[in-house]
Amino acid sequence: METSFAITGKGYVIIAADTTAARSIVKMKIDEDKIKTLSPHLLMAYSGEPGDTLQFAEYVERNIRLYQIRNLYPLRPAAAASWIRRTLADSLRSRSPYQVNLLVGGYDEATHSPSLHWIDYLGTSVEVPFGAHGYGSYFALSLLDRYHNPEASLEEGLDTLRRCINEVSKRLVVSPGKYKVKVVDKDGTREVEL
Amino acid sequence: MSIMEYNGGSVIAMVGKDCVAIASDLRLGNQALGISSNFQKVFPVTDRIYVGLAGLGTDVITLRERFRYRVNMYTIKEEREIEPETFAHLVSSTLYEHRFGPYFIEPVVAGLSKTPSGGLKPFIAATDLIGCINFAKDFVVSGTASSKLFGLAEGLWEPDLEPEDLFETISQTLLNAVDRDAYSGWGAVVHVLTKDKIISRTLKGRMD
Amino acid sequence: MARRYDSRTTIFSPEGRLYQIEYAMEAISHAGTVLGVLAKDGVVLAAEKRVTGKLLDLSGAKDGGYGGSGEKMFLLNSNVIGGVAGITSDANSLVNYARTTAQRHLLMYNDDIPVELLAQRLCDLKQGYTQYGGLRPFGVSLLYAGYDPHYKFQLYHSDPSGNYSGWKATCIGANNGTAQSLLKQEYKDDILVKDAIGLVLRIMSKTMDSTTLGSEKLEFAVLTYDEEAKAPKAKIYKPGEIDALLQAEGLAKKEDDEMKS
Repeated sequence: METSFAITGKGYVIIAADTTAARSIVKMKIDEDKIKTLSPHLLMAYSGEPGDTLQFAEYVERNIRLYQIRNLYPLRPAAAASWIRRTLADSLRSRSPYQVNLLVGGYDEATHSPSLHWIDYLGTSVEVPFGAHGYGSYFALSLLDRYHNPEASLEEGLDTLRRCINEVSKRLVVSPGKYKVKVVDKDGTREVEL
Repeated sequence: MSIMEYNGGSVIAMVGKDCVAIASDLRLGNQALGISSNFQKVFPVTDRIYVGLAGLGTDVITLRERFRYRVNMYTIKEEREIEPETFAHLVSSTLYEHRFGPYFIEPVVAGLSKTPSGGLKPFIAATDLIGCINFAKDFVVSGTASSKLFGLAEGLWEPDLEPEDLFETISQTLLNAVDRDAYSGWGAVVHVLTKDKIISRTLKGRMD
Repeated sequence: MARRYDSRTTIFSPEGRLYQIEYAMEAISHAGTVLGVLAKDGVVLAAEKRVTGKLLDLSGAKDGGYGGSGEKMFLLNSNVIGGVAGITSDANSLVNYARTTAQRHLLMYNDDIPVELLAQRLCDLKQGYTQYGGLRPFGVSLLYAGYDPHYKFQLYHSDPSGNYSGWKATCIGANNGTAQSLLKQEYKDDILVKDAIGLVLRIMSKTMDSTTLGSEKLEFAVLTYDEEAKAPKAKIYKPGEIDALLQAEGLAKKEDDEMKS
């Protein structure tokens, strides 16, 4: 089952998402990247209704890029999250709403701080120290309540993420096999191996 | 499953002697799963008005942004700040515009309104999700713990409370009501508006 | 013969000029002066009021509103103050447009509009009137004093053609040449707001036609950053505050000054 996590730490945000693309009970693909880099310091993990997810993620990606081209500087993470939220909230009351859940993590170069926004398909958005979507959230959130440390170094943050992934693998009936993990900090975004 | 109870959360406002108080919990959930313990539902509108929005999380944010837009445009055009009575009607008309596809929010307004003699008079009001206003003289409640809030407020509230006593009354009412509600809690925030200052305090509550 | 090429705003003359736009700029160079100085910790704006007189009812400006007397200085958004020079009614229309644009940005992004973006939006509108036929261009130049987290304090100028540019110190309206050469001599890169206020007032007193400075002929505004509220603080002075400021700077009108001159 689809699962994504995100954790903030000292000067960074880690976002992890499983890499399976499933249709009904069949795994169609096991190396799908479900984390988009929206701008030099912004990441977005997306999950939900197949088709809607990629369509919406690309729509967001291009609009964020357009803002950056037009105005010479990128939207700050909180402003980007607000715009994405507004787009989902408007979509909710349209004829065919997007069913996409997001984790938007970024590093704000103006305030030199990491920020993470948990957003669901209704357009509910809240800034959180850590967040998760999918069935994995039922295990990961309680684990993160216990182990999350906002002052943790990147290595400690990745250790906490490993705990989450192990717990999900151990307890969830249909747990995902592989995860893609990306980090955003003052140097920009990059993929890391667990 | 009711949409009004999907994210949880509660708001209450009370009248005191030359002061008003408004308070809310801080939980945002996905039904029984807690997502955030820092989800603000009470927002300043002017220096003398606060609005509390209990209901569906997405609409809390959307309405907050819409109210801010409409109040800012009002302030710019009128070159003065909006009065609480006027704001209550602005809230009401915004909600009724969506009569047949409503925002799932039941707002609470608390403020101090100017009297012709230059003094300040406490004002509270609440509306349903399509904007029918209830101008109460004592207290108003909203959200998933509203039935429990009614019970506690009925027992604890008395007329003409001074700011600090009003703070204690509204805090105890809210904290004890949300303890009996699975969808509200996870901390609280209280604002007391008096004629010369605003007291804002974040309270710790049971985290279960 | 020039008449053949300036009946419409959108027709080039044989020399490749748009006469209507040049006339609009000419109109502005007769309007009341607006002066802006970018300091290290803020931006200072001052403007010369033209519509004055004993019978003008200014009771609304005394204590109501957000400061200013509605002729030259306008709060465009919580982080931007605008100073206008030119046709006042055109300016009112642009100010209204700017405020709506800023609020729409706030609604969309939950973040104050960046200063340059606001200037750009107004310029897009102004540029339209140099190209689409049948209408007159806006006879207004603006100074924008603003703050945003990207470039901190900023000062922009825009003119009727839809051009805009950023400045450390600049001036629009009557005598802008004199003021700009004075600014060139006196401006220092790390000037502070408290010194910029004195500089602006001194230059205003030199460029204005009248011999004395007073709140009836002057509008004044300062944009700084409030460290406590973590937000920009825009202050447009009320008439009483301007007189107090002039008093403090030693530029106030003295009772017997008029007798001597």
